[in-house]
Amino acid sequence: MQKINKNAVLALLSLTSLVFLLFQLYYYKFYLSQKNGAVFSKVRGSQSGQDSTRWHVVRKFLGLLSSHNIPVYLIDPLILGLVDKDFEQIRSSPDGPSPECKYFCAPRDFTTFALLDKTWKHEVDLFRTAEKMGFQWLKIINKDPRLDGMDDLSGIEIPLHYIFKLASHAIHLVVFYERSGNYLWHGPLRLKQHMDRKFVPFRKLHFGRYPGAYEKPELLLVSIDDLKVQIPKNPSSFLEEMSHSRFLECRYREARAFFQLYPDDASLDAVEFRKKAKSLLHLAALTLNNLGVNFWLSSGTCLGWYRQCNVIPHSKDVDLGVFIRDYKTDIIPAFQKAGLPLKHKFGKVEDSLELSFQGEDGVKLDIFFFYEEDDHIWNGGTQAKSGKKFKYLFPKFTLCWTEFVELKVHVPCETRQYVEANYGPDWKVPVKTWDWKSSPSNVQYNGVWPVDEWDDVIQIY
Amino acid sequence: MDEWKPNPAIKPHKKRSWYLAWKYKLMNQRALRKLCQTGAVLFLLVTVIVNIKLILDTRRAAYEEEEESAQDYDDEMLNVEVPRHPVSNKKVLDVEVYSSRSKVYVAVDGTTVLEDEAREQGRGIHVIVLNQATGHVMAKRVFDTYSPHEDEAMVLFLNMVARGRILIFTIKDEGSFHLKDTAKNVLKSLGSQVAPFLSWRDMWTFVGKKGGEVYGEKHAKSPALSTWGDPVLLKTEVHLTSVEDAECHWPDTELNRRRKRFCSKVEGYGSVCSCKDPTPIEFNPDPLKDNKVFDVPVAVIAGNRPNYLYRMLRSLLSAQGVNPQMITVFIDGYYEEPMDVVELFGLSGIQHTPISIKNARVSQHYKASLTATFNLFPDAKFAVVLEEDLDISVDFFSFLSQSIHLLEEDESLYCISAWNDQGYEHTAEDPSLLYRVETMPGLGWVLRKSLYKDELEPKWPTPEKLWDWDMWMRMPEQRKGRECIIPDISRSYHFGIVGLNMNGYFHEAYFKKHKFNTVPNVQLKNVESLRKDAYETEIHRLLGEAEVLDHSKNPCEDSFVPDTEGRVYVMFIRMEQEADFATWTQLAKCLHIWDLDVRGNHKGLWRLFRKKNHFLVVGVPASPYSSKKPSSVTPIYMEPPAKEEGAVAVPAVAAAEQT
Repeated sequence: MQKINKNAVLALLSLTSLVFLLFQLYYYKFYLSQKNGAVFSKVRGSQSGQDSTRWHVVRKFLGLLSSHNIPVYLIDPLILGLVDKDFEQIRSSPDGPSPECKYFCAPRDFTTFALLDKTWKHEVDLFRTAEKMGFQWLKIINKDPRLDGMDDLSGIEIPLHYIFKLASHAIHLVVFYERSGNYLWHGPLRLKQHMDRKFVPFRKLHFGRYPGAYEKPELLLVSIDDLKVQIPKNPSSFLEEMSHSRFLECRYREARAFFQLYPDDASLDAVEFRKKAKSLLHLAALTLNNLGVNFWLSSGTCLGWYRQCNVIPHSKDVDLGVFIRDYKTDIIPAFQKAGLPLKHKFGKVEDSLELSFQGEDGVKLDIFFFYEEDDHIWNGGTQAKSGKKFKYLFPKFTLCWTEFVELKVHVPCETRQYVEANYGPDWKVPVKTWDWKSSPSNVQYNGVWPVDEWDDVIQIY
Repeated sequence: MDEWKPNPAIKPHKKRSWYLAWKYKLMNQRALRKLCQTGAVLFLLVTVIVNIKLILDTRRAAYEEEEESAQDYDDEMLNVEVPRHPVSNKKVLDVEVYSSRSKVYVAVDGTTVLEDEAREQGRGIHVIVLNQATGHVMAKRVFDTYSPHEDEAMVLFLNMVARGRILIFTIKDEGSFHLKDTAKNVLKSLGSQVAPFLSWRDMWTFVGKKGGEVYGEKHAKSPALSTWGDPVLLKTEVHLTSVEDAECHWPDTELNRRRKRFCSKVEGYGSVCSCKDPTPIEFNPDPLKDNKVFDVPVAVIAGNRPNYLYRMLRSLLSAQGVNPQMITVFIDGYYEEPMDVVELFGLSGIQHTPISIKNARVSQHYKASLTATFNLFPDAKFAVVLEEDLDISVDFFSFLSQSIHLLEEDESLYCISAWNDQGYEHTAEDPSLLYRVETMPGLGWVLRKSLYKDELEPKWPTPEKLWDWDMWMRMPEQRKGRECIIPDISRSYHFGIVGLNMNGYFHEAYFKKHKFNTVPNVQLKNVESLRKDAYETEIHRLLGEAEVLDHSKNPCEDSFVPDTEGRVYVMFIRMEQEADFATWTQLAKCLHIWDLDVRGNHKGLWRLFRKKNHFLVVGVPASPYSSKKPSSVTPIYMEPPAKEEGAVAVPAVAAAEQT
């Protein structure tokens, strides 16, 4: 009797257990089909759950933005890197369903998107809807740099970054602004005092360590992992651009202080010179950019940017620097074609090369070529009448973007060291008489060109 | 699912033979068998419990999810409800009001909210509106009811104030001379006992709630015509109501949230804050087809005239083809109320620290605003510049959209302006007609970025130069012979009567009768003929077909122009050289058009309408069109009036006023 009972109990228990197993299976199926996995992962928290979490969060986010007609594009370097590898295939099948979740399922803490500021209105509704969908969001605002250069405008703060978080995944939305000089700019991500420092692992974010400058990208609508997203038309060049996109803002406050001390020259001559220098710089930038030659503001032009955010009116020329590895033989013909005849050429590619072009209205364009050594960088100078050589030494530097006279140009990131090397510790004091052979504090005598080379290394037109 | 797999393996199964064999094998080891059975039972129990837990968990998660989405709808209600409770406890405000000949002040809870003891200023009735829930000052006005018509303005203002607001009145110097019965009755209806009997140089203070109780009133009669009543000081208490009672219950939308914020801060904007039937703050005018100015930034230059700004923005946002995202309002100074107005309409506003004084301050504000505009919209080739005291015509953007390509292509153009200096009710007729003029009218105009960046910005007058920016822009060094395009009928209307260079008299004389286009979608007719050379051809054609008027008649007389319609007439006046405007000025004076300086000329030619006929005036011999003069005609010469010293100085000053 007892035995039967025991067996009956056992049978009953196993039956119940089976029923529950079925239940379990049912729920599992139900959630996979109905929900986005977020709930499920809350319960299970397993490794495989997180993968689809990311995909679901991205999908929700894209849905949220498209319902508000806000166009965003994907700039996540990790995904773009993967996309770039299979780019041909992705581009050729914009609608085809993808067999596996390849890009948006790799477990990551966040996915990065970009938003062009002018394509949306700062709607409150977006955030309300986001909250309703379960997103937590964080907005990072800061001063508008486009107005920073102006005296006395009350600092308007603009949104620079948004972070939308759902479950264990976050979307980093970088806001890009158009700026004078026909480029896009994004701001740095700086947390204010009261902000939640643990909202997302901020240090791991790909954008926001520094402000950045980018060309306006052409976009392409593709389908990745069954999600329709816009991506830069050329992911690899975008990634390349991203790797050295760091942007330096001009030091407007210091420039204002400088002008307090040394009032700006507002004479007609100064106005005229600035106008000419600006148009010459625009022309030079266009020519060099077309050739794909990297250049930066050097010497007096760089000092003008760093000290007063403007062209120094009593400087007589525009100075650019180019690494000798970027030298191209097309440079001279290209400038000539642009209406800037060669004025003189000193040195040779192997040593102390320097080109001068005659701009319109008597403003000269100097291009100095820089030679990299192990612990320093230098460029050369040549005195035409004596054949004497000079060498100007600079500490090593990298290049950053900045905006100067409505142009996106490079300057050395370590500008202060660069300027100080060139002009000494008193660079803040304007000097009107300047001798390029003796005034710079980094000049070294570098011997004399052999007389038989003179025809080659000293060419004056 | 992996973790659940062991379950079925443990279960005793249908394979009965195997089970029995196993059972008998273990028969002897009873203890072990028991243990196994208990183990199996325990395991099964655990399985069941875990399963139940799982189901509960899943359900709870699902439930939470549902709750979350259910909250979507409760959320707002809750949010609104919460802050209401703590405020409901009643509070009392101490109010002090002082009225005397030379000084008035109002203090609320010890804070002075009004103090005016300046001499020769602030005469009349001062009115302060307080929020009945917070006690904040919502409006401050002074109505000089010693002078005519000011009482009407006061009535208008008081009618606009919402019911329930607290009103404080006090008189400085004199406030009864032109206080008519209508106004007195309004004051009486507010609960004032004294108002109907207010008389010459009485002192008076009054605190009351609109449409409700009276908190106090004090009055001191003037004993004689030559003396003032004794100063009066009224001290009283005002009970605050709850925020709930002070607010309207509009449906909770983004627009109404803006409205609510605005209406709880300021007063005097009438129906925009009406609880029952608030006037819209979003206008959605028809879009323009092929709008060429949709992406052109609009800079609104403003000072501290929030009521003007309100009126201006309403008309601007109602104009067809407007793009609110491109509008930026630049406020000269850290004034709150203009910013409130800007936010009400959901626009962006930027405040600018005032630099320098008077005209130079305006000029610096202009520079900062223009620079900021081009910085904020680096793609823009143009900017539309507007001021806070302009009404904008419904077809303003349509007018610009049709003409802006000229500014891009024709180097000889300086600007496009919506304003015709000579376009008065009796001298403008054709909404589709445009002119080229050598003067820069301003008052709603388009500036080319290259002109600003390359020429104007670098040499803009510095703060120490007390120049008018517009006068400076009109100087030949800047204008360099370039011209502006203007419409015959203005697309803007200058309504401001208080301003730096403006007063009621001046406005009445020169601005009130200005013609303003109200017709939508006007198709401009001669756009291509406004290019430099084409315009000359056009003028020659016009002069060729024009009938020469009878030069023996007095050009000031109405009969000078025949009673016809749609004809073209020409007259010739004496103009010895390019800068000789003696006769023109006299003619302008008697035609009642702008005569304070020369406006609207093109190479010694003026174009306007008289009696619906196109009326051309050619200055001979300075104008190149003099050749069209028949030899028999002697140009008319009008003598300037005999010298009055003052008369020369006035125009010079007044000319500056126009903007």
